Amino acid sequence: MSDNLELREVRKAFGDFVAVDGVSFAVPPGSIFGLLGQNGAGKTTSIRMIMDILAPDRGEVLFFGRPRRPEDLQRVGYLPEERGLYRKMTVTDHLMFFAELHGVKRAPASRMIADWLQRVDLAQWGKTKVEALSKGMQQKIQLVGTILHDPDILILDEPFSGLDPIAQILFKDLIADFKARGKTILFSTHVLEQADKLCDHICLVAHGKVILAGELATLKRERGGNVYRLGGRGTTERIAATPGVAQVLERQTGWKLVLESNAEPATVLRALVENVDVTDFRSEEPDLETLFLQAVRNAN
Amino acid sequence: MRIDPILTIAKREYTTRVKSKGFWIATVLLPVAMAALTILPSLIAMKSRASQRLAIVDEVGGFGDTLATKLVEEDKTKSDPSSPLTDKSRRKEEAAQFKVELVPLAADRTAQRAELDRRVLAGDIDAWLWIAPEGLKQNQIEYHAESVSNFMTQNRLTEVASQVVGEARLKLAGIDAEKVTQLTHPLSLETLRVLAGGSRHEGGMAAFFLAYFLYFLLYMIVMLYGQQVMNGVLEEKSSRIVEVILATVQPIELMLGKLFGIGLAGLTQLGIWLTTMLVLTAPVVVTTIAVIPSDMLPQVTIPVVIHFLINFLLGYALFATLYATIGAATNNAQEAQQFVGFLLVFQIAPMFFLFPVINDPDSTRSVVLSMIPVFSPLLMLLRIVVKTPPYWQILTSYLLTGTFVFFLVWVCARIYRIGILMYGKKPTFQELWRWIRYT
Repeated sequence: MSDNLELREVRKAFGDFVAVDGVSFAVPPGSIFGLLGQNGAGKTTSIRMIMDILAPDRGEVLFFGRPRRPEDLQRVGYLPEERGLYRKMTVTDHLMFFAELHGVKRAPASRMIADWLQRVDLAQWGKTKVEALSKGMQQKIQLVGTILHDPDILILDEPFSGLDPIAQILFKDLIADFKARGKTILFSTHVLEQADKLCDHICLVAHGKVILAGELATLKRERGGNVYRLGGRGTTERIAATPGVAQVLERQTGWKLVLESNAEPATVLRALVENVDVTDFRSEEPDLETLFLQAVRNAN
Repeated sequence: MRIDPILTIAKREYTTRVKSKGFWIATVLLPVAMAALTILPSLIAMKSRASQRLAIVDEVGGFGDTLATKLVEEDKTKSDPSSPLTDKSRRKEEAAQFKVELVPLAADRTAQRAELDRRVLAGDIDAWLWIAPEGLKQNQIEYHAESVSNFMTQNRLTEVASQVVGEARLKLAGIDAEKVTQLTHPLSLETLRVLAGGSRHEGGMAAFFLAYFLYFLLYMIVMLYGQQVMNGVLEEKSSRIVEVILATVQPIELMLGKLFGIGLAGLTQLGIWLTTMLVLTAPVVVTTIAVIPSDMLPQVTIPVVIHFLINFLLGYALFATLYATIGAATNNAQEAQQFVGFLLVFQIAPMFFLFPVINDPDSTRSVVLSMIPVFSPLLMLLRIVVKTPPYWQILTSYLLTGTFVFFLVWVCARIYRIGILMYGKKPTFQELWRWIRYT
C-alpha cells in the first residue's frame, strides 16, 4: 500500500532565509506521525506546503502515492497552529460552513454537527454566537470543524499549544479514535514528551533539514544500547567529565547517561565508581528527547 | 478555480450580513427618510400658511386700502386647488397669509409708533407697515416686526407693495396701468422633459435633485460595501481563520466568494430601496398620496433603475477588489487607512465634475470622463439620469470598466494571495509591486 502522504525534496525559501531545505518524509497509512523540532525548524512551513497554502520552490507533495489534486484536500482535516473562528456566527452555522467547504452536503452535515456537539458536550450551545463561548469551548469547536467531514488524513499543527486541560484530553481521545479507525494522523509539536507517548512514526527537523526519521520503535531499538540510568550520589559535572560519557541529563532521581558509541559500558562504570557513589546502573530504552539530542549532535 | 467553494464562501458572507440587525435597520431607514422627504415639504408648506397679522398705517394716503385688498385677494387665488402650481406660486404658498388691519393715522405719530411696537411685543399683531411720504420718495416703506428674517413673507410684501405703488404712479402719469402690467409681465420657463415614451412636466430642480441623489446613493453604497469587504478580510486575517479556509480553497476563490457574497447583500439592499423609489415616484402613487405637485417629484424609471444596478455592480467590483486587496496586505484598520485614503481620492474625484456633467452631459469633457473606468460608474449614471446618452457610449463605458475590473481582479489576486498570510509589518508600495510580479 502506498503512503498516504509523501514529501520529496521539498524546499521553501523566504528571501534569503531557507525555511525548509530539501525535506523528504513519508507518512504510512494508519500511522500517527510526529513532525518534531524546535520553533522555527520549518514544521509549519512544511505543513503549509502540504496543505497547498504555500507553494514549494522545489520538490513535490504526493497524496496517496500520486501528485496532489485539489479535491484531495477535502479528504484532509487541517488544524493550523493559528486558529480562529468567525466571532459573529453561531456555532451550528460555523460548523455547517466548514462542512460545506469540505464538500459535505447540508443534510448529512446537520446530522453530523448534532452528533458531534453532543459528543463534546456543547449540544445546548448550537445557536450561540461564537464570541459568547469560552476559549476552551472555542477550541472544541475548532477541532470539531476539523474532523466533521470525517477526513482520511488529519493534520494538526501544534495541536496541544494553548489548550485547556479538558480540550487536551478530548484531542488525545480523538487522535486515538482516529487511529483505531485506521486513519492517518500527522501532527507537529515541539514538546517531545507528548510525541513520545502518541507517535509511532517521527520525523525530526532542525534548521529546515530532516535529521532523523522513521518508525519510533525501530529508531529506539537501533539507537538504544548506549543509554543508561545512573543512581547514586555525586555531581553532574564530575559525571560528565568521566571518559566514555557523551551526555548527561539530570533526572528527578539520578541521571540519564548517553555513552559514546564506541564506549564499553563496563569500562565506563568502573570509571564512574571513581567519581560517584553508584547505587544503580542499568541499560534503558532511550526516550525521544535522547534520540533528538543525539541526532542534533550527529548532524553538527 | 472551482465554483462550489466560491458559492459556499459567498453564501456565508451573504447570510451573515442579511441576518444582521444593522442591515435591516439601514434598509428600512433610507426609504423612510425618502418618504419623509417627499411628504414633509408639503406638510411644512401647509403649516407655514399660518397667517401674519399685519397693521398698516398709511401716512401718504391712498395706498393702505389697495394694499390691504391686494394682500388678502392674492391669498385667495393661491388656495384655489384647481390652479396649476408653478414654482412661483409655490413660493407664494410658502409665504404667510395676511390678516390686514388698517390703522388710521393718529395725531401724535411718535405715540402711535410706540403703541404699535407695544402691540407687536404683546403678540397682538405680528408686524406693522408704515407708509411715509419721505420714505416713499426713496422707494421705501417701513416694516416693523419682532422677527425680520422671514424673507419669504417680506418678498411677498415687497412684491405686492411695489405693484400697488407702481400702478398708482402710472395712473398719476396718465398711463393705463393694466396695459403696462400685461405688457411687462415677467416670463417663466415651463420645463418639459423629453423622454422616449413622451414628454412630461418636470421641474428643472426635480431632475437635478434626482441626479444628485442617485449619484450620492451610488457613491455611498459602493464605498460602504467596499469597506465591508476590507473589514471582512481584515477580520479573517486577525482572527486567523483565514488559514483554515485556505486549506480547502484557493486565495482567489476566497476573494471572489467574498466579493460575490457581499455584493449580493448590497444588491439586495439596493433592490429594496430602488423598488420603494419606483413605487413612491410612480405617477399614480404621486397623484394619490403626495400632497406636493407631481412635477416637483422626479420620476424614477425602470431603465434608470437597471442602469443604476449595472453601475453599482461595476463600481462595486472595481473598488471592492481594491478594498479586499488592502485588507489582505495590511494587518489592521489603522494600517489600512493609508491605502484607503489613496482609494478615496479616486472615489471622491468625480464629485468635482458633478455640476459640469449635470449642466452639460454631452460635452466632450463629460463623455471622456464617463469613459474612464474609475470614474465611469458614477459619471455615466449621472449622464444617464440627466439625459440618456447614445447607447454606444453607455456600452463602451460598461465594456471598458468591465475589462478594467477583470484586469484589476487579476492583479489584486496576486497581492491578495501573498498578503493574506503575511503578518507583521505593513508592506510598502515597492513590496506590493514585487508581490504582483512574483509567481
